[in-house]
Amino acid sequence: MRHVSRIKFMVCAAAVAAVTIIAGCANAPLRTEASTSGIRAAEEAGAAKVPQASLHLQMAREELAQARELSAKGEKEQAASMLLRAEADAELAVVLSREDAEKTEANAAVERVRELRKNNP
Amino acid sequence: MKTKQFLIIVALAAIFAGCATMPPNELVNARQAYKIASDGQAAELAPAELHKAQEALNFAEQSFAKEPDSAKTKDLAYAAQRKAQLAGAVGAMNADKSLKGRADVAFEKKQTEIIQQGKQDVRDAENQTADVRAELDKQAALKEAKDKSDAELAVVQAGKEKADADLLKQQTETANQAKQDLRDSEQRTADARAELARIGAVKEEERGLVVTLSGGVLFRSAQSSLLPSAQVKLDQVARALMSVRERNIIVEGHTDSRGSESYNQGLSQRRADMVRNYLVQQGYPGDRIQARGMGEGAPIANNASAEGRANNRRVEIVIER
Repeated sequence: MRHVSRIKFMVCAAAVAAVTIIAGCANAPLRTEASTSGIRAAEEAGAAKVPQASLHLQMAREELAQARELSAKGEKEQAASMLLRAEADAELAVVLSREDAEKTEANAAVERVRELRKNNP
Repeated sequence: MKTKQFLIIVALAAIFAGCATMPPNELVNARQAYKIASDGQAAELAPAELHKAQEALNFAEQSFAKEPDSAKTKDLAYAAQRKAQLAGAVGAMNADKSLKGRADVAFEKKQTEIIQQGKQDVRDAENQTADVRAELDKQAALKEAKDKSDAELAVVQAGKEKADADLLKQQTETANQAKQDLRDSEQRTADARAELARIGAVKEEERGLVVTLSGGVLFRSAQSSLLPSAQVKLDQVARALMSVRERNIIVEGHTDSRGSESYNQGLSQRRADMVRNYLVQQGYPGDRIQARGMGEGAPIANNASAEGRANNRRVEIVIER
């Protein structure tokens, strides 16, 4: 059994090596660009000031950190998968920030009309 | 607590069932989030985002079918849930944008109205000012016209006064002329009277100046044709009368009492007519001279004597006053 296991391991290792050679990128560093740029966009959109957006921004940061941890542990696939969460949360944070700004502007516009009508019946 | 117990029961059930058919929480949440988004305004206002959420959910479902328990399935489901939430947020954002757009349009419209109203107010004010100015101009024009008319009236009055003065002067002149004419006329009458006095007997009577011509000088007995000597006499009378031709004259024929009264009446009328005709022939205006036969009814002497009868046979020329 031990021998078999060793052979299995070797086959496995060979397969991994082959895949690595063929793909040429198995050991490539974690692609966090989408996540980091998403987080930066959310920060710039003022997510920190919008509670809901701020929550998802925080989640995105934590998920990015987890992905890096997983990647550091060699869990490349899980790390890449975790990045999907970080990207999704960052994108949502951006949209929630913008949505809040739009809502504020829309309310202001409505209020402006109301005031104008009140003062000029 | 109930939820916790329920979850524990679900978890135990999953363990017993070998976890094969139980979707992870992430997938359950993703399905629910997608349902909320597609039921909401995202379907209309964020169709692209909703479509991406649907694709993400499909990936998660496919992953769940292949490897129900894997971390990848959970991560895909988690991402799908976030994309569904994002679609909802984009829908809300677009709704806000639309609301803002409508509000801005309404604002501009109202503002335009206000500006128009303001312009209208300005125009109204200008019109009012113009009206007032026009009224003032009108009044000024009226005043000017009145002043002018007063001035004209003064001129007219001056003219009238002059005309009155002229009229008065003219009237005075006319009156003077009339007086002069009267004096002339009186002078002529006096001249005529002097002339007539040389021709026959002249008397001032109530009815006027009476010139008496003897019948014997003018006519043969019982005849009405004029004697040649009568013509000489009547020529003189006519000349004297010419200077008083504006007076009315009556020629009266008179007889003595011999013969019938009607005969004498006819004879005296014929003789008066004869004299009148002669005077008219000599130029005296016919419409100013009448002939009257007086018959024997107005004697001036006693018919008993021959002398008296001779005096009664006569023609009187009455020059009326």
